[in-house]
Amino acid sequence: MSTSLYPLASLPQIEKTPSREDGIPDGLEEELRAYGCKLIHEAGILLKQNQVAVATAQILFQRFWFVTSMKQFGIGDIGMGALYLASKLEECPIRIRDLINIYDLLLQRKAHIRAQAMASRLASTSAHPRTEFKYTPMSYFGNTFYELKDALVVAEMQILKRLGFNLTVVLPYNTLVNYLRVLGLTSREDVCTKAWGYLNDALQTPVYALYSVPTIVCAAILLTTRHLGIGLPSAPENCWWELFDAEWEDLWNVCGYIMRLYRERTSEDHTRVMGMVAKKGVRQWLEEHRPAGGEGH
Amino acid sequence: MNYVQLEKLGEGTYATVFKGRSRTTNEIVALKEIHLDAEEGTPSTAIREISLMKELKHVNIVRLYDVIHTETKLILIFEYCERDLKRYMDVHGDHGALDPITVRSFMYQLLKGTAFCHENRVLHRDLKPQNLLINRKGELKLGDFGLARAFGVPVNTFSNEVVTLWYRAPDVLMGSRTYNTSIDVWSCGCIFAEMISGVPLFRGRDNQDQLLHIMRIIGTPDDRVLRKITSEGQTESTNPPKQYPRYPKIPFSQVLPKASPQAIDLLERLLQFDPSKRITAADALSHPYFTGSVPLGLPTPAPGSMAPPAYNYPHPHAHQQQQISQQQQQQAHAQAQAQAQAQAQAAYLQAQAGMGHYGMQYPQQYAAGPVQ
Repeated sequence: MSTSLYPLASLPQIEKTPSREDGIPDGLEEELRAYGCKLIHEAGILLKQNQVAVATAQILFQRFWFVTSMKQFGIGDIGMGALYLASKLEECPIRIRDLINIYDLLLQRKAHIRAQAMASRLASTSAHPRTEFKYTPMSYFGNTFYELKDALVVAEMQILKRLGFNLTVVLPYNTLVNYLRVLGLTSREDVCTKAWGYLNDALQTPVYALYSVPTIVCAAILLTTRHLGIGLPSAPENCWWELFDAEWEDLWNVCGYIMRLYRERTSEDHTRVMGMVAKKGVRQWLEEHRPAGGEGH
Repeated sequence: MNYVQLEKLGEGTYATVFKGRSRTTNEIVALKEIHLDAEEGTPSTAIREISLMKELKHVNIVRLYDVIHTETKLILIFEYCERDLKRYMDVHGDHGALDPITVRSFMYQLLKGTAFCHENRVLHRDLKPQNLLINRKGELKLGDFGLARAFGVPVNTFSNEVVTLWYRAPDVLMGSRTYNTSIDVWSCGCIFAEMISGVPLFRGRDNQDQLLHIMRIIGTPDDRVLRKITSEGQTESTNPPKQYPRYPKIPFSQVLPKASPQAIDLLERLLQFDPSKRITAADALSHPYFTGSVPLGLPTPAPGSMAPPAYNYPHPHAHQQQQISQQQQQQAHAQAQAQAQAQAQAAYLQAQAGMGHYGMQYPQQYAAGPVQ
């Protein structure tokens, strides 16, 4: 049986992603990937799009950054392109204008939040007045629309081209249901919900471009059962994950990726990422953080 | 571009097809030009066609050699085939009807290609004579994967706006969105009957009329089957169940007096109203219609008509040999291509072995210069 029709990143691609090659540190790339996926997720909810299309978009988005640097394309544009493309693939197409309006709203709101945070950081007193966010819709025939539309069409085409039309995505949900059945855990609603949630959260990490679906599903089950204190056979020669052809080391790595999503972040971390949704922000950051020594000024 | 554009071959809904010649090997190819629409981005038909066809390498499926991506258009480079089955029937048939030996050969190749798609988890969803291409060697190849889709364990309901009306399965006509490989098998059955008689078997005007045409021949199924199928078209479940006239079944031997008893038996299994009762394409290949010897006394093809197909269909290894010779041709064709193919094949073999690492080393031709 071939469950592996979907492409996974190769070792050299994992060891040195194009973004890292361009000087974007590991941690920052991970943050930007997660942020781009959150935007896709939020846009999907506002568009009332199927979770199947949203998840597919997030996985294509993650794959894309193994072949392209964030210095070259922004996570906002590529996220938008991925959602548009995934909606076509999953046969629940969305209107370009709806998608653009939604992204415009999301980005305006993020920009507002960022401006607020930066202003309150500058004003050392906490008496800085907070302003309400007010969305200003773009004009119907205005430039904003056409610029975003061009960016969207280019993003879709670049995803197709750079992924070489390898668009097969296999989602993990069916596998989770099967495994929970095998493990006799389907009667525990808390287990099902939590494991399902981990699978969804994992969409914000690169794991779907790195590991096979069975491995990711086992990781979600491992996290769930550990958190809920449910014991499963784990002594050598009798490990439950081996039943599903998963390796302990891989499981543990996937768990690491997922758990890193939940770590505390400072407001500086937040504003930094929000400022790098477009490639302009990324380039600016790279300018400011050019390694000392090297090429100099 | 590495190809010289020759005469126009046809114009489809979203693409124009030209004959072309490779500048390096002089090989004749078909160039399918797709204009990129600034309103909708890349057409979803093109996306499906490329992403699915580049994986499907089989003698009975039109090969996609290459994709050229420019700012304004996408050009797909396909293996060239002389004509489609519709045209073939018009030219070589007796009022469209083909001789039994050709029918059997084409039918075998059609099922072989379809079975290969299904094995690779692809539904064609638009099988009809216009989409089946015949080359000079008498090889039949499935083409136009613009409506195809990959399927796994179904997590999503599919669109029910698929398959040209006359070849559309009754369950799809009744609104089913959970159809499976059986949808293509139905179309194969319709094409089978059409090759025998020369005319399409069910020629409805619209969805409802098409369903009645089907029932008038294969009979109205019993309520249990109808209820089961209706319940699968969830969206329509709010409407009260439709009443269908009770038609008796007309034996196929009456509809197709020219068909042999074995042909009738196969047709019967292909055209089952209930999708779960329909034979699979793979099983159909070992039906006695194919495995039995050619009955004597059949008319031989008229002189001047196409040579009989190049391979002996019941022979299990024949098409493998053809695949090998095809590969050799391609190696001569272009080295980069051969490399990409070898990579893809290695990846395919790995996938078959369950190793699961396709790698993201994309073939060179897909990674041409930036589009911006």
